[in-house]
Amino acid sequence: MSVRDAATAVGGRLAAAGGLNAVLAWSDAALAAEAARVDALPARGALHGVPVALKDNIVTVEQPSTCGSRILAGYVSPFDATVVQRLRGAGALIACKTNLDEFAMGSSTEHSAYGRVLHPLDPERVPGGSSGGSAALVAAGVVPAALGSETGGSVRQPASFCGIVGIKPSYGRVSRYGLVAFGSSLDCVSVFGRTVSDAEQVLAVISGVDPLDPTTANRPPLEPQSPPASLTGTTVGIPREYFPADLHAGVRAACDNAIATMKELGANVVDVSLPHAGYAVPTYYIIAPAEAAANLARFDGARYGARQHSDGDVRALYRATRGKGFGAEVRRRILVGTYVLSAGYHDAYYNRAQAARARIAEDFTRAFASGVNFLFTPTTPTPAFKAGEKTDDPVAMYLADIFVCSANLAGLPAMSIPIGRFEGLPVGGQLMAPPFAEAGMIAAAGVLERHLDAAREVSP
Amino acid sequence: MSVSARDVAQVAKLAELAVDDAELPALTAQMDRIVSFVAQLAAMPDLAGAGTFLAGPERSPLRADVVNPVLLARPPAAIAPEFVDGFFVVPRLGALDGT
Amino acid sequence: MSWETVIGLEVHVQLGTRSKMFCGCSASFGDAPNTNVCPVCLGLPGALPVPNEQAIRLATRAALALGCTVHERSIFARKNYFYPDLPKGYQISQFDQPLSTGGRFAVESAERGPIEVTIERLHIEEDAGKSLHDRIPGKTAVDLNRAGVPLAEIVSGPDLRSPAEARVYLTTLRQLLVYAGVSECSMEKGSLRVDANVSVRPTGQRALGTKTEIKNLNSFANVERALEAERARQQALLEGGGTVAQVSLTFSAVTGQVKPMRSKEESHDYRYFPDPDLPPLVLSRDWIEDARAGLPELPAAKRARLVVQFGLTAYDAGVLTSDRGIADYFEAVTAAGADPKSAANWIMGEGMVGFNETGRFAVVPPGLAGLIALVADGIVSHQAAKKVYAEMAVSGGAPRDVAARLGLVQVRDEAALAGWVDEVIAAHPREVERFRAGEIKLLGFLTGQVMKRSQGKADPKGVQPVLQRRLEAK
Repeated sequence: MSVRDAATAVGGRLAAAGGLNAVLAWSDAALAAEAARVDALPARGALHGVPVALKDNIVTVEQPSTCGSRILAGYVSPFDATVVQRLRGAGALIACKTNLDEFAMGSSTEHSAYGRVLHPLDPERVPGGSSGGSAALVAAGVVPAALGSETGGSVRQPASFCGIVGIKPSYGRVSRYGLVAFGSSLDCVSVFGRTVSDAEQVLAVISGVDPLDPTTANRPPLEPQSPPASLTGTTVGIPREYFPADLHAGVRAACDNAIATMKELGANVVDVSLPHAGYAVPTYYIIAPAEAAANLARFDGARYGARQHSDGDVRALYRATRGKGFGAEVRRRILVGTYVLSAGYHDAYYNRAQAARARIAEDFTRAFASGVNFLFTPTTPTPAFKAGEKTDDPVAMYLADIFVCSANLAGLPAMSIPIGRFEGLPVGGQLMAPPFAEAGMIAAAGVLERHLDAAREVSP
Repeated sequence: MSVSARDVAQVAKLAELAVDDAELPALTAQMDRIVSFVAQLAAMPDLAGAGTFLAGPERSPLRADVVNPVLLARPPAAIAPEFVDGFFVVPRLGALDGT
Repeated sequence: MSWETVIGLEVHVQLGTRSKMFCGCSASFGDAPNTNVCPVCLGLPGALPVPNEQAIRLATRAALALGCTVHERSIFARKNYFYPDLPKGYQISQFDQPLSTGGRFAVESAERGPIEVTIERLHIEEDAGKSLHDRIPGKTAVDLNRAGVPLAEIVSGPDLRSPAEARVYLTTLRQLLVYAGVSECSMEKGSLRVDANVSVRPTGQRALGTKTEIKNLNSFANVERALEAERARQQALLEGGGTVAQVSLTFSAVTGQVKPMRSKEESHDYRYFPDPDLPPLVLSRDWIEDARAGLPELPAAKRARLVVQFGLTAYDAGVLTSDRGIADYFEAVTAAGADPKSAANWIMGEGMVGFNETGRFAVVPPGLAGLIALVADGIVSHQAAKKVYAEMAVSGGAPRDVAARLGLVQVRDEAALAGWVDEVIAAHPREVERFRAGEIKLLGFLTGQVMKRSQGKADPKGVQPVLQRRLEAK
């Protein structure tokens, strides 16, 4: 199939999938321009002609970047994110910009200013978030891969809900230059794929040190590996804190099945403990909003974006623009973040959370030092929930991230693969590895993928 | 520790976010809920003596002092809501002087 | 009631780099608005800062010159507030762990003699852009060319005791930083800014009074005037039984008065926290010592050396070291053979006129040394030499050639001198009579007449003996 035909085919699939509300910007003309650009490249790159969707908080020169917010309605960035340049350099077709929870703050993609995204298997359910649009498109077969971003699990969680692969690399593995910042010490551009191999290929292309991002590790790009035949010689740690007594029965059954499969494949499965696991969500919900409050201060209607009309001085402009331009969840997080940094609360909240983060990271260091190659846990406490189920109580929504946010706090590589179905809904299993040990984790996931039937209904 | 409406109004001012009176009670309840939830961190027994976790590299790379800006694909005028004679324009600073 | 004034100064200097602190935009002054901008300094979504090594090197040099301890590990922090010319809604600065602390800086106080001012800290930060409130009616115009330019903030301890001392601190600090090649330190161009903190307390009281802050001062003279005005205001207030409120003030050069800045909220909660986009700034001992090695001989050391090495007075050494260019020129002129005292006098006289206008010395060092030698040898008079200097400043040339071209070589030939002397004796018979009668001071007058008749070309040292002989002969 020629690149031109691939582009046309993607356009057809995007049009057909419009009902999911997963896309914020796409056009046949843009796809045709992408195809022409790829055809003009001097050599075939690793992703030649592969259509990749981009979460709308990754900035692009050719299409708007709204971050799912009214405050950036119509904003077209004058520069491309590094990851976009690298995808293009490898011959990928940039397919579209996808819908997300506003400024990546959410776990269901119900907090977008442009409407919620529908779960491809059940329109009443959420695809997860914040990268719900990208997840839905991959799950619906519109594109084989997509970029999302993670701050507290925003790719693994929707991958789990939608039954696809989601990989969060180590912090610093992929450049953040061009990713609109939410929680700077947590943010990672991450990848969705239909298969482990699809996701790995894309991750390899976008990874590697970037002089424009001083938080990138001074390491070369990842190289895709062919997975080994078995898990012999691998030690898998099962953290007991992630398997509480009241864990959802379907999730437990799927995980038990996956663990049994690992043993069959020759893995040494051991029990480990991450004692501070229960503090991960409150720690995350202090640090992430604090960093976000500062990162979103630039959105004031002065230099770019949508400005609210106000009669008054410049501060009236700021307050009106930000008050109206940000949605409810974003406003809550900015307020919480400002509160925990403010004089009188800074020590009790922000400083304490930093100490807690150090302890949480130490738990992982200790677990891996004991000889464990990777950890295995459920990705989410339940399969995809219904739209509206958790929007009344912000904390209920936050708890959806209970198994995923620790990896963001500790900067670890982590991924979700589909490990079964419960009542027709996908269940995801999570792997977490030591810093910069993606390759081994992805290889093990590849082996598991071959031996697990992700579509199989589990019975508790 | 509970969050009051006055706390919320004060923080909203710091964050330059307009919150109208009608929204304040519900917002205060939500803020109180969230802050009370995260406050449970105080119960962590071994907070004292914890080091600092560094997400990124141990030291920042430094840039050579060369003029080589990232070129903009479109100029400031093209992205600005209001741009006159080469300047970004906002309503005048009113009751507050320069700091 | 006698009062003691306590003053501390915060000085911001622009570090003399080509590019900005966190991006590759040009840091130059005076370009068309919003032309030196990029995603980083515009604060566009997705942009990230990368620190400028030279800015850090210059700040390190400044810190070392001020006797500070440079910390091998320091942290960038976000200072959060909203303002039209602050694109990110926060400024990247340093807070808890700054680049350097604990320096001491010697200043010559007119009232107290040599004093040592503590430097509490010198840290690195980025500048904000420029807000113009009067360009468009009802609006503020913003130019972000300056946003992101590297600054060093230098905070003194509350060690100054008078407005005059504050001014001397500033001029001495400026000289040091210019010498060290750290900054141009031009208040007109905004590369040096001063905020002053001042309080008063009854003499002998240990506790400090409430301090106020005076901002947006635009010259050293105005710093002194503003501090004088504020000191007087605080004293009057306290003597009248009132209390000093901790406010920020501005100074009007026109009225000579300070007044509070119109602010709705006085206190700023900057919510400082370490910038998560910037890993720690880690400088090795070797790197720091290398920065130190890049420091030139500093003013105080150079002054002392000139006194010892060349026998100059402290005053002359002070003038010659007021600018590194002058000191370097002086040493080049003496190296070319000139007598140090004469060199000093010529440079502080003729030389400074041109230097003050153009920033350079128009006559090359060997040229001035040669001219000084001509005067010492009596080949040109001092007066004539000034004309030779002026000509050399414009068109160069060797001093003797220029003197000859201008007809200024002194005549010592006895026959020529005798000719002029005879003409003068013939023209002034009455004065000659009076001289011979005992009014010996008329020798000066008659010598002057010979000089006039020779149109300045006669060597006055040669004229006198000839004149004397002729007068005594008849």
